[in-house]
Amino acid sequence: MEESYPIIDCDIHQFLPNKEALYPYLSRARQEDMNQYGLRMPGNGGYLNGGDRGYRIDSWPDDGGRPCSTLEMLQTKHLDLYNIEYGLLLGQDLRGIPNMFDADFAADLSAAYNNWMIEHWLEHDDRLKGAAFVPTQNTALAVKEIERVGSHPDIVAVAGINGVQFPYGKRFYDPIFAACEAYELPFVIHTGGEGTFGQPTPVGYPTYYVEIRQARQMGYMAHLASMIFEGLFVRFPKLQVVFVEGGYIWLAPYLWKLDSDWRGLRRHTPWVELPPSEYILQHVKFTSQPIETSEKPRQLSTILEWAHAERTLLFASDYPHWDFDSPINALPHMPEQMMRNVLSDTARELFNLPRRIEVEPVKAAD
Amino acid sequence: MARHVVAKLADFPPGTRRFIELENLSIGVFNIHGKFYALRNSCPHQSAPLCRGWVCGTLVATQAYEYVYAREDEIIKCPWHGWEFEIATGRSVFNPHKVRVKTYEVAVEPEEEDPSIPTFPVTVEDEFVVVYA
Repeated sequence: MEESYPIIDCDIHQFLPNKEALYPYLSRARQEDMNQYGLRMPGNGGYLNGGDRGYRIDSWPDDGGRPCSTLEMLQTKHLDLYNIEYGLLLGQDLRGIPNMFDADFAADLSAAYNNWMIEHWLEHDDRLKGAAFVPTQNTALAVKEIERVGSHPDIVAVAGINGVQFPYGKRFYDPIFAACEAYELPFVIHTGGEGTFGQPTPVGYPTYYVEIRQARQMGYMAHLASMIFEGLFVRFPKLQVVFVEGGYIWLAPYLWKLDSDWRGLRRHTPWVELPPSEYILQHVKFTSQPIETSEKPRQLSTILEWAHAERTLLFASDYPHWDFDSPINALPHMPEQMMRNVLSDTARELFNLPRRIEVEPVKAAD
Repeated sequence: MARHVVAKLADFPPGTRRFIELENLSIGVFNIHGKFYALRNSCPHQSAPLCRGWVCGTLVATQAYEYVYAREDEIIKCPWHGWEFEIATGRSVFNPHKVRVKTYEVAVEPEEEDPSIPTFPVTVEDEFVVVYA
């Protein structure tokens, strides 16, 4: 990138140093169960991952600790290095909360995680904002947690996950989206959980990790169609949704297909009065990482234009995961205003964040 | 091309690596089973610090589902996205002709004498690993 711009990173994964870090926020009964059985997150199907155990090889600290498990690690290895204006914390160890079969334990873990994130991260660095975990498998418990933490000034979103029981447009989820709307919190859906509640793809279980990565956008496409045709954005006109880490270049042809199909099938869902793409442009954003590459750089620039990246794309690094995108080297060429929107302006507005950086950030040495 | 002293040979045992930082250029130097190699410490993909990655082998398939572990300790795997490069040539495994990282000449030499200082014949006790970059 020739110029440098303020950067808001919409996908950062901070680790628990250990499970005991949650104990101050959990009952004695939960602690005793966790001493024996740990966090009880649903399994990942045994797939391999990239990097070193899924994370950047250089993100593992020399002292035997875990990547990005202290504020100092995140500050020195990422926030300071790239002069990040804001970073959105999306957690790590507890990302399976919405996939747990025990909704009450999921609710307790959500509250513990949110408290831990607020007290150990958000309140110690103005740059950090967080997405609150909620047990989306039980909407009453989820709403209770949104009501509990949703007014905290550093909680700027509610976290969801791709692999859930139902596509997100179904009325099952209405109480959660009503709370998101009331608290003005975007619903930020991260990939994960594909396969917990059913087959991760329409054709069954893939064998390899590289295959399961391709299932992410299948889920996102299903959620998007559900949201649009069930009239989610008609029923919740202020709701904002973000899809994280599920690819981006598929968006442009998908917008065209949705609009094409809607013209002839409009009478099935007559409440969808606008072309489907219009609801996406008004209500939905996508994060950039892992940004796809194209045969020729110009092709990617063109597809960003087709997908309205100036409105729909948010930069994310995914630090400290192995497929991290560098804030200064990953994005393709794009017009200056689009680049500003992608790197910070769209996210600043979406999460209602005051501008922190006026000066242009320095380019980090390679 | 300038000569840069990396370390005394005795201080640079097999299985270790060193880094030299020049203006706008970081180079990783490796001692792999007694042979020295130097690579630019920047991945051509997203400028990750390539030489912080793992020295390893790679998997070579003979046909689908069948492979051998090969090229042991000849490969460096980028610490971010896992792109593999041959340490000796800098050529990537997935596209050796187009995707490459720069390599540098490494030598083991006696300490260079400073010609401005009058010297006497001496026994060379220390050898140095040097990189030409």
